[in-house]
Order: sequence, then structure tokens, then C-alpha cells
Amino acid sequence: MAEYRHLSETAPSGSPPRGAGTVQRPAPAPAVPPGESSPRVRRWESYRTRERLAQLLFLVPAVIYMVAFFGFPVVKNFLMAFQKYSTTTFYTGEAPWIGLGNYRAVVSSSVFDKALVNTILFTVGSIAGQFVIGLALAVFFRRRFPLNGLLRSLLLLPWLIPLIVSGAVWRWILDKDNGALNRFLAATHIATGHPGWLTSTSLALVAVMMVNIWIGIPFNVTILYGGLQDIPEELYEAASLDGASGWQRFRYVTWPMLRPVVSVVLVLGVVYTIKVLDVILGLTNGGPANASQTIATQSYHLSFQQFDFGQGAALGNILIAISLLFAIIYLRANRRAVDE
Amino acid sequence: MIRSTRSVRAQAVLASMLALPLALSACGGSGGNSGSSSDGTTTLRVLDYYNNDPGKTVWQKAIEACGQEAGVKISREAVPGASLIQKVLQQASSRTLPDVLMLDNPDLQQIAQTGALTPLDTFGINADGFAKGVVDASTYQGKLYGLQPVTNTIGLFYNKDMLAKVGVTPPQTWDELRTAAKKLTSGSTYGLAFSAPANYEGTWQFLPFMWSNGGDEKNIATPQTAQALQLWVDLMVTDKSVSKSALNWTQADVNDQFKAGKAAMMVNGPWQFPVLDADKSLHYAVVKIPAPAAGKPIVAPLGGETWTVPQTGNKDKQAKAAKIVSCLNSDQNQISLGQQNQTIPTKTALLGKFASSNPNMKGFTDQIPTARARTGELGADWPKAATKIYTAFQAALTGQATPTKALEQAQNG
Amino acid sequence: MSTVSALPGHRRHTGPGWGNTVVGIVILAVLLFPLYWMINVSLQPSGSAVGTPWLPLHLSFHGYSTAIGQQGRNLATSLIVALGSVVFSLLIAAPAAYALAQLKVRFANVVLFAILISQMIPGIVIANALYTAYNDLGLLNSIPGLILADSTAGIPFAILIVRAFMTNIPQSVIEAGRVDGAGHVRAFISIVLPMSRNALITAALFTFLFAWADFLFALTLTTTENVRPVTLGLYTYIGTYVNDWSSVMATAVLASIPAIVLLVVAQRYVAAGTTSGAVK
Repeated sequence: MAEYRHLSETAPSGSPPRGAGTVQRPAPAPAVPPGESSPRVRRWESYRTRERLAQLLFLVPAVIYMVAFFGFPVVKNFLMAFQKYSTTTFYTGEAPWIGLGNYRAVVSSSVFDKALVNTILFTVGSIAGQFVIGLALAVFFRRRFPLNGLLRSLLLLPWLIPLIVSGAVWRWILDKDNGALNRFLAATHIATGHPGWLTSTSLALVAVMMVNIWIGIPFNVTILYGGLQDIPEELYEAASLDGASGWQRFRYVTWPMLRPVVSVVLVLGVVYTIKVLDVILGLTNGGPANASQTIATQSYHLSFQQFDFGQGAALGNILIAISLLFAIIYLRANRRAVDE
Repeated sequence: MIRSTRSVRAQAVLASMLALPLALSACGGSGGNSGSSSDGTTTLRVLDYYNNDPGKTVWQKAIEACGQEAGVKISREAVPGASLIQKVLQQASSRTLPDVLMLDNPDLQQIAQTGALTPLDTFGINADGFAKGVVDASTYQGKLYGLQPVTNTIGLFYNKDMLAKVGVTPPQTWDELRTAAKKLTSGSTYGLAFSAPANYEGTWQFLPFMWSNGGDEKNIATPQTAQALQLWVDLMVTDKSVSKSALNWTQADVNDQFKAGKAAMMVNGPWQFPVLDADKSLHYAVVKIPAPAAGKPIVAPLGGETWTVPQTGNKDKQAKAAKIVSCLNSDQNQISLGQQNQTIPTKTALLGKFASSNPNMKGFTDQIPTARARTGELGADWPKAATKIYTAFQAALTGQATPTKALEQAQNG
Repeated sequence: MSTVSALPGHRRHTGPGWGNTVVGIVILAVLLFPLYWMINVSLQPSGSAVGTPWLPLHLSFHGYSTAIGQQGRNLATSLIVALGSVVFSLLIAAPAAYALAQLKVRFANVVLFAILISQMIPGIVIANALYTAYNDLGLLNSIPGLILADSTAGIPFAILIVRAFMTNIPQSVIEAGRVDGAGHVRAFISIVLPMSRNALITAALFTFLFAWADFLFALTLTTTENVRPVTLGLYTYIGTYVNDWSSVMATAVLASIPAIVLLVVAQRYVAAGTTSGAVK
């Protein structure tokens, strides 16, 4: 992506406009005066070779690991969608090639449209909720007060509880007749009708989104907090010396410096949310009547309950395509914004 | 230019590295061998999903006893229920299937289809004297692949105190069920609870109603099935004697509701006896699931797990494994396993003399001779039909469509 | 009295700020309510959640006694695997993140997109491939095997996060070090790593959490009870027919305690403005 090239050549993606004497553009490479004799030039080129080698050595362990652990699965996952892959294939290895047959079957199924809409709504709603609340909490925790560190760490507790357990607990809390939420809502007279959070077609997706936001908040808070902590104090001091208001400080100091972290959080957030499976399965199984069925849950159903792994993989690849599309569009748009 | 040559070379290196894992996987594995212990006794690997007590210990003892009889040592792996098929497929592709494999009876067809199982007649094992439905589930294309020692089904539990208070007798027909459920619904208590989630557990609960009325899984868009679905719609939507939460309840949740007194009757199975018996203040009894009309036969679904012998390529081990399967299905083992696990023997001759510690078991035992296997008709195509069934009743129960329309839409995809 | 403004950078160190603590506790109470409910259910005698009262007035510790008795070893396994995964992931990810962020690597974008794609693959595909490979290599039922497998979640994530943080490190600082004669590795270890403390700790936190919460690899890559992370050990109480929820909840609660201690300690080190001072 062009953005990364841009970053590797210059300083941080956003430079504060005023009073930012501390952030500089990188020092140029050791100067090679033009027209010097060849020994100088040769030394320069061997210096570049050593630079190159160093860069690659830093990357090599990671590349080896990624290729070893992901190389085969990525290729296999991609190919599976073009084959007729059933339980027999696992034993015999036979998987006849059927080209786009799986994709056609999957897209023309009656569930697909609903699943696609649900996936988009679920992802957009979850990310919006998680990010906004996460950022607000990260900003809040920047204040200095007793027990700050302890509270911030306790916020990570939802991630320590196995999903099967939190799924069960949320099912009890959201139960229509006896769940804690409905009891609370009825007691405080906010909603006395005992809404069927998990059993009503209009509310199931909302309920599942709420739980996913709950799970995503710690992720957003912690990373954004770390990013906020990395912003040097001097920038804020300089900005306030220049007379910037609170909101202007956020817009001109915090936001540009936070942007690379925000990018990663949003793109990763979308990638993770789009394949969320256990939360939805644990809460509603994709029901009632496909109200909370997403492409990810439908893919799981096709693979592991109907044993048609080819179709399941086709849906999985569609998800990957959507994620990639989002990543490309977002990063392009981000780069354009940075250039402005 | 030097720079472009270098980058081309780098890309070539990267590409060849990508090929490496592909090459490694192509070499494939000959699979691990079951191993023999130092004193020469063979060890057989067993895979099942009785991963929690008390079932785990009960089966451990039974398998080890059979192992001793066959002269082998046992190395057993018990995995969580939902992960069994995943493990079987992983082991099938790496050719490391266990010597003795337990399968949930509706899954046998899929696995037999792959060719990974050995037909049991190779070892001279037959299923004479077993209940017909049980044999159907374990038979693929006319050959017997598995033998099932114990089974279970579902029936109607009712709270004796609550029924006595309202003056209702345990219902025996659908009309009686509706009336009783309506009378028993009051305050925070519902008359009836069943499990109707969007998965195969919901389908399992719907089957006795569908089958008893003449409905069939080959084509669910028939008036008989529509009537069965109409019963559920009447109970839940019209009469409100069943909580809407049933759309998301597992059978365990239904049991919790019944136990807490939030439901006067429930559709559930005998494995709940220990949990219910733990509460001394709860007085319950079991009757058969109500029939559509007086005198009509009730057809209940067959549960339970079947034991198979995968193809491991080692003839000796397979023969010994077959001995273990056969031993687990002996008369003595069927009765002892049934009594310890709250399940029912599958040999029809034993049904008469099988007396569980719980008198309520009779309500279930009586249904076994006429019970039906889920995969009996469609074999490996059952999962698709099962999905259609729960899609249909979920649509009807949430008011998306009338029962007839819902069944049509589900049947035609 | 102490008017701490709502936005960062305007902190006045006047007084302890207990008002904020109260707000923080309220926020946490709302967000962590399900955990309270979990503890509540684990202490109920019936172990079921139907009609559970708000407070567990009749305590029953049967779940906890079962959990303590049976899951101790699994807990240790989980901790070792998670910590091992953190160390391994950071060792591999930090240099790679540095290379992608600061150095002029040509195919950086390709690598980054490859990493992003790796995050989109369903875990089961990786698990199936790893099972076959591990079976051939004899890595099943081993802690190193699990560490390697759990790092599939940690390494890509750590590379992306640490890289994002590292793009904020000014080149000038590193160039200054290099001009002073430090080699690449020295510059990396003595200049870049200390400045990336927040990045590394954040990445470490989530690598730990991913490995801790992993169930798929624990299930796939173990066949005996010797090496069994607690996420799988939990299933000792979740059966095909009956569940023992009090033991399940108790195990989850007990397992979280050492982990949360580690996390609290780690978060202490997330300090403010680490890039300041170095440039001055």
C-alpha cells in the first residue's frame, strides 16, 4: 500500500502544525557528494547492501513462521471452495474440481441475502460501538486517579473468561422471562414488556451485537490507551501555549498522532468481527429463523453440520474478499486524508 | 540495474519458500501406530465423547473390562461432544483413526460413506435381536457398520403436585395436551416446556410429533407435518402455554425450567433423572409423548451412540477391536450400562426384564420397539432434511409464515 | 475543587481525584456485571440460573472444591503456554515490526497484506493442517507445540500493532544512534525497544490473552490429559447430556485470578510519553 511506503520514507504520518520543533524529518543518508571518485561510490553501494541484508534479517524469522504456519492453510482454504469437498474427501483425499459451483450454490441459497445484510449490520454496529466506547474510556483513563491501573486491568477480564462460559452467562442474563436484564428493566420501569432479546426476530441481531461490543471494548480501550500514552507531553504543552482549546488539542495533536494506531484497531476490528462465530452460535445459533445468521455462522453450518466443506469454504472466501476490500478502501482513504 | 535483480531474486526466494509447506504436506504421514507396550500386549485406541462424569468412569470400566477379555490394553480419548466429528475428520485425513470409534448414531452414515469404517460382518458380528430402529441407524447400504448397546428417547415429564392441584390427568392425546397445558399455565409458570432452537436438538424434539402423525422427512411439506407444526404453534403462540424462550432453550435449559417449577410439563429424556432426583421436593413422573388421537401409535426418535471399527490397515487390531465392540454389546453389559447411565438396552429380549432403579424409565422403555432412527430413510442425506425441519418450525413459531407455508419454503429451499 | 479537564494533556496534579475513581468503578461495575452474575451462579446450590436471586445468600462451594481439586495442573499448563507464546511471539514480531515500520523495505506492503490475510483465515483450517503436521513431527501433546500453535494468533497481531506504534518513533533518534556507530541490532535493542515499551506491553497483553483463551488448538493438538490447557479442562464438566455449571463457573473464576494478577503487573509499565525526552 502506498501509505506504508510513505511512512517508511518519512517521519510519523501526521506532524503537529504548530510549535512542533521536536519532530523532524529524518536525517538524510550519509551524504555522497556528487562527482566523487569511484571508491566512495563503491563504499556507498556496499553500505546499501549491508542495510538491505540487515532489513531482511530482521524480517526473516517472521516470514519463515508465517509461511510455515499459514502458507499451506491459506492456499488450501482458497482451493477448497472450488472443489466438491465432503467427509469422504477427508478420508480418501478425492476432491473433484467444480469451479464456481460452490459459489453459485451458496449465493443463490435463500439464506445468503439475509446473512449478508446481517453480517454488514453486525460488523458496522459492533465496530462503531466498540470503537467509540473504547476511545471514550481510553481518554477517561488518561486522567490520574487512584486505582487507575487496577481498573484498567480489570477491564480485560471479559477476555479471560472462556467464550463458552460468557456465552452461557449472557444467555441467562438475556433470558426473556427470568433473565437479569429483563428483571432490571421491569423493576426500573424502563421496559416492562419483557422483550425477547434472543427469541425475537427483530431483537436477536441487536442482542448479539451488544454482547460483541461488550467483548470488543477491552480490546479497543487497551490499544487506544497505549497509543494515547505514546503521544509526547510537549506537544500538548506547546499546543496549549499556542492557545488551542481542548477540542482543538484533540483534533490537531491527539488524532493525527493516534491515526496509525486507530487504523490498525479499525482494520483488525473489522477482520476479527466479520468472522465472529462462537458468540453468535453460543447465544442464538443464528436464529430465531435466521435473524442473527451471518455469513460466518452459515459457513460453519454448511461445513460442520451439513458436511459440505466446499460450500463452507466458498462462504469463508467471500468473507475474506469483503475484509480485503474494506482494508484496501480504508487504507486508500486514510492515505489520501494524510496527504491533504 | 542491481536493485531490480536483487528484488527479483528475493521474490523468487519467497515463492520457493511458499512451496515448501505444500511439499511437506504432500509427503504426508503414514500415521502414528497404536504402539505396543514393552511386554508385548497390544494397545488399542478408543475415541468417544463421554467426557464427563459419571458417564466417563462408567464407560472406562466397561471398555477396560472388555479390553481385558480380548487381551489388549486400552488407551482412551474422551472429547467434548461437539468436537467428536472434527477429531474424526482430522484423524481420517492423517490416517490415524482409532481402533474403536464411537459415533452418535445419526453421524454413522456420513462416516461410513467415506469408506473409513469396516463392515462388521467381516468379523462375524450381526445385529440379530436388536431393535429395528437401532439396526437401521447403523446400517449403510445394506451392511452393518456399527453396533449400539444402549439407547434413549424422549417422553413427557410432568410435575405430579402441579397436575394434582389443578385436577388434570397426564395427557395422552394432542387435544388433552393443549387443554392440560392451558390449565397449568398461571403466573410465572408455563404449562409445557420443550426445546425448539435452530439446530438438530430442536429437530430431535419435533420428530415424535411429526412422525406420530404420519409426517416423513423425505418431504416435509405435507398436511400431516403441517398439523404437527400447528400443534406447536397453537401451544406457543395461540395458547401461550409454552414460553417463547423455548426457541433458544437446549434440553438442559428445559430441564432447569421444569426443576425450578417454571414449567409443569416438559419433553425430555431419561438422562435428566439424576439431576431431577437430586431435588427431593420435586415429585415427577413420565408418560409417553401424546399421540395425535386416541389409539394412534407413537413413533419416537432413537438416541444413543454406536460403536464402530475403523479401517486402520492392521487386521489383527481390527479383529480385536471387533471383539471389544461385540463385548460392549453383550446382554450383561447392555443391562449394566443402561442402569448406570440412565439409558435403555437395545436388544428387544432384554427390554422386558430391564428394570431401572428409576420406575419412570418404563415410560421410555415401552417406546423402543417402535422407535425410529433419524437416518433410517435418508441415510447420509439426513442433515439437509434436519436443517429444513428446524428452519420450518422456527419460521412458523416466530410468526414469519403459517405452518404450511413455512414447511413449503423450507422443503423447497 | 480540582477541575481536571475532560481532555488529555490538561492534567493538573491537584488532589487525589477520588471522584474519577468512583466513576471508574461505576463504569467497571456495569461492564463487568456478567462476571458478577457468573460468580453468583457459581455459588448457588442448584448451579442453575433460573430464578437466581440477585445475591447469593445461600452459599455452596461445591463447584470451587471440584475445580481446585482437578484443574490445578491444567491451570499451570495454560499459564506456561500463554507466557511462552508471549515470549516467542515478541521475539519474532518485534524485529519484523521494526523492519516494516522504519527501514526502507520494498515489499513491506505485500508482507503487511499477507499478515492481514492470515488473520482472516478461519482457525479450523489452520488447526486441521497443524494436526497432520504435528502428528508427523511428534509434536502432539507437547507444550512447545502448543506455544508454536498459539503464536499463530499472537505474531501477526503483534507485528501489526507494534509496527503501528513504531511509525511514531522519529527517524532522527535512530539515525543519531547509527551515526554514533551503533549497528542495526544495537540500535534496535538499546534505542528502539525502550521507546516502544507501550507497544510491546500492549502486544504482549493480547498475545497472552489470545493464547490463554485458545480452545481450538488445545482441542486439536492434544489427545491425552497430560498437557491440557484449562479451556479444554473446563469440558470435564460440560458433557453431551448433563452439565455441571457450578464447577464450570468456579473453574473459570479461579483460572482468571493468576492471569489478572499478571495483567495488572504488566499494565503498570504502560507509561506516558515515552518518546519525550529522547529527542530533547
